[in-house]
Amino acid sequence: MADVLSVGVNLEAFAQAISAIQALRSSVSRVFDCLKDGMRNKETLEGREKAFIANFQDNLHSVNRDLNELERLSNLVGKPSENHPLHNSGLLSLDPVQDKTPLYSQLLQAYKWSNKLQYHAGLASGLLNQQSLKRSANQMGVSAKRRPKAQPTTLVLPPQYVDDVISRIDRMFPEMSIHLSRPNGTSAMLLVTLGKVLKVIVVMRSLFIDRTIVKGYNENVYAEDGKLDIWSKSNYQVFQKVTDHATTALLHYQLPQMPDVVVRSFMTWLRSYIKLFQAPCQRCGKFLQDGLPPTWRDFRTLEAFHDTCRQ
Amino acid sequence: MRPFLLEGGSVSQMPVAEGKSVQQTVELLTRKLEMLGAEKQGTFCVDCETYHTAASTLGSQGQAGKLMYVMHNSEYPLSCFALFENGPCLVADTNFDVLMVKLKGFFQSAKASKIETRGTRYQYCDFLVKVGTVTMGPSARGISVEVEYGPCVVASDCWSLLLEFLQSFLGSHTPGAPTVFGNRHDAVYSPADTMVQYMELFNKIRKQQQVPVAGIR
Repeated sequence: MADVLSVGVNLEAFAQAISAIQALRSSVSRVFDCLKDGMRNKETLEGREKAFIANFQDNLHSVNRDLNELERLSNLVGKPSENHPLHNSGLLSLDPVQDKTPLYSQLLQAYKWSNKLQYHAGLASGLLNQQSLKRSANQMGVSAKRRPKAQPTTLVLPPQYVDDVISRIDRMFPEMSIHLSRPNGTSAMLLVTLGKVLKVIVVMRSLFIDRTIVKGYNENVYAEDGKLDIWSKSNYQVFQKVTDHATTALLHYQLPQMPDVVVRSFMTWLRSYIKLFQAPCQRCGKFLQDGLPPTWRDFRTLEAFHDTCRQ
Repeated sequence: MRPFLLEGGSVSQMPVAEGKSVQQTVELLTRKLEMLGAEKQGTFCVDCETYHTAASTLGSQGQAGKLMYVMHNSEYPLSCFALFENGPCLVADTNFDVLMVKLKGFFQSAKASKIETRGTRYQYCDFLVKVGTVTMGPSARGISVEVEYGPCVVASDCWSLLLEFLQSFLGSHTPGAPTVFGNRHDAVYSPADTMVQYMELFNKIRKQQQVPVAGIR
């Protein structure tokens, strides 16, 4: 716990500072003891006064010395690192009741586990890609170059890169407009408007898509405080269905090494919904099934199907 | 998106069945809807009053007075709609009625002109269906059916979808596309468009002569 929190703290100086505080405390109490004891018994009054004053001065000097030492050490100690790797959840460590609510330690363990998992999965995918089932010579050549060295984690990408990727995708399709904002920290939130048919809120985690909510064109996507409302569902059953399909899609389009390809494919799939109300189902030929238009779009061919008609 | 209206009674689109009254036809429709799985959700009412421009303001040109319709719709309880036949539609709040009283000098109410439709609302998936009886005074003149598809805001996009839905409970009596769609293809649908369609419907019914309700055409 200490190494996570106090990354910028000089531990040795910290220990020395604590002993300097103890020294300071003892010299201060010596001063007060000297005052309390008063003058020692000596032959002359002058002698007594001199001895007392000399004693008192010594004690004050030692207090001064200890104080300076403490100040010097405190400058060395440094501040605990401002940017916690866990941001606000790092403050959970300040909870004194550790045995009843071991939240912080459990949180740390969970993060360590998921990071390890990510790392192992990266290694595994590198190894598995080597044993690919494809027969073209090109593919072998490419993966022979890319030996499984430690892949840079795509989980921590600079926000500028994410902005660039999204703006490039925005320009790809004329009828789809993407607006990016960061109301809650570094994760991007996209508001995708598709023609006059629907609006999609996409919550991202660096360049990976985390959640989507699909709402109608005339529905309100902002909460009362003006921020994007990422929790409330649509009022219409058709868009609730499309939200479920979109969640399936973002689980389907997965490629940990190239997240921008994933986002592009997802947006291409989403764009096929521009004809949500105009396209009949490819299988049964009708528009309505249980009151719903064909809400499923095939992941490869982008054809429209009813939810109950898809193969 | 709400488009359209079709009327019943004894005009070509939905002939009243032989030996049945308006009431029974309405019941037939509602039963079909309930079999489809629609849920009843209260009642609705749309009414319309006619005003014509007062003679004093016509001036020396002798132009014909224009007719203005003031309508209310229970779906928008705080609004009042005022429209001319081929002209613009004004959406105002309910104080407009009081304003009309003050404008007595310019607009005079036509006698016995109030026409209204009342009935039940049904919800089926994202469709809102309203089946009502059109009455003028004490007599029932026809049936109005309104279907609204909420999720879609562009009128022309989902016409085929609506048509299919209508066919499922009206059988073969489905109408053609309303004229409201013709001119603007990508415009967002608004409540004013609904009121224009209701106005056309009421005018059509008003022009019919009073026919025996249990007749067929």
